[in-house]
Amino acid sequence: MPEIRIENLTHTFGKGQPNELTVLDNINLTFESGSFNAIVGTSGCGKSTLLKMMAGLFAPSDGSMKLDDQIIQGTDRRRGMVFQQDAVFPWMTVSKNISYGPRLRGASAAEQREIEAKWTQAVGLKGFENRWPRELSGGMRKRVDIGRVYANDPDVLLMDEPFGALDAQTKERMQSDLLETWGQSRKTVVFVTHDLEEAIFLADKIVVMSARPGRVHHIEEVSLPRPRTDAMRLTDEFIQIKRRLWEMLDH
Amino acid sequence: MNKNTAFNSKRVILGCLSVAAVIAIYALVTSRPDNNPALLPPITDIITSFWTNLTSGSLLTALGASLFRISAGFLIGTTLALVLGCLIGWYRNIEYLFDPLIEAVRPIPPLAYIPLIIIWFGIGEFSRVLIITIACFMVCVVNVIAGMKNVPAVYEDAASTMGATRFQVFRTVAVPAATPFIITGYRVALAAAWTTLVASELLAAQNGLGFLLQEGRRYFLTDQVMMIIMIIGACAFIMDRIFRKIQAHLMQWSETRE
Repeated sequence: MPEIRIENLTHTFGKGQPNELTVLDNINLTFESGSFNAIVGTSGCGKSTLLKMMAGLFAPSDGSMKLDDQIIQGTDRRRGMVFQQDAVFPWMTVSKNISYGPRLRGASAAEQREIEAKWTQAVGLKGFENRWPRELSGGMRKRVDIGRVYANDPDVLLMDEPFGALDAQTKERMQSDLLETWGQSRKTVVFVTHDLEEAIFLADKIVVMSARPGRVHHIEEVSLPRPRTDAMRLTDEFIQIKRRLWEMLDH
Repeated sequence: MNKNTAFNSKRVILGCLSVAAVIAIYALVTSRPDNNPALLPPITDIITSFWTNLTSGSLLTALGASLFRISAGFLIGTTLALVLGCLIGWYRNIEYLFDPLIEAVRPIPPLAYIPLIIIWFGIGEFSRVLIITIACFMVCVVNVIAGMKNVPAVYEDAASTMGATRFQVFRTVAVPAATPFIITGYRVALAAAWTTLVASELLAAQNGLGFLLQEGRRYFLTDQVMMIIMIIGACAFIMDRIFRKIQAHLMQWSETRE
């Protein structure tokens, strides 16, 4: 099972130039196999940058990132990513979006049908298989995004504020549904957010980052039992964690 | 659906209204006693000219010749533009290679090549098709390149994190994402084809719509000139409509309305 290890990672934009900017400073982190991890921090702490590096979209200037002792270099289907922006392909129907990854690798038509049926069902889009993305709400498009990444069967799921643009109710619903999907396969998840409640509700481990330059400020182990329920959001334990983390963030 | 039909019929009615108004004003002006029919031929003369040219076969021959030139030039020009534009817009090195050339050549009006083309290739069919091809290519390639450059980065990132190779991203993401621009390029190319067609036929042709225009000027057949202008307008209009249908079909996924 996959384990992510980040060692002495530093990233500087425009290194060697007069206006160089260090966004990440000496980060050391381990994300264990099958765990759900969150990274929180105010804007400018480099949390999205860190996540994109894990995806292999660009390389750090110093230090290393490894997945199962293999150095992360370039993108790979093993590390799937859900983006903050809408990344659903508008020129494909819902089911074509879902089966995009398998199709890349030459899955047969029958395999594609099977995957489409399984994942449209799993992310709650049954009945919308042949719709164009423009016909869906923002929340449903995010479901397509998540279903598409799951259908591609990665080992690691990287999520960059995926629910940031959704309204509060939709967001809570999406969080519960995400946990349910995750519970069935227990992929390693790294979830970036600036929403403390979201982080506490979802994660086993929360990395709190401080800004300018981005550093690991604190690591919070969340011991709330699983499966998590919405009622837990109002328990003393939940609120205590929230208060503790809130005081740590630079306001 | 109902609303759409209402919208469309309203559109057709209003569209016809402006055309009818122009015809009515023209009829009014030409019916005045002091009108010179040699300059402004009455509508009946234009219709008569249409009929004589139609029955003698000269109109259909001309139309056939012109449509052949347009189709050939348009198909060759846009196909080249599609292939080259996609490559230039996507692969950095190919862009570096061709971009200065295209930017330098782009401002030159296609008609400026006519003297050179005549010197090199004479005044045959090849030369006329070549001029149209150049015109179609130049306007189309610019749009295709713009389309490829406007592909949102998040689509590329999404595809590559799902394991797509660079070429797969090109084929399955960049090209489809660029279709709105590509289709615009094709439509502009169609208009450019008509513009250059008439110019190339005015200069050197023994048949075609441009030739009939030239003949009308030479023998002072103003009614024939008017008639050809309307035929060209009608043909270009019909072609554009057909194109819009194809566009609507290809762009079902897009939020932008026609």
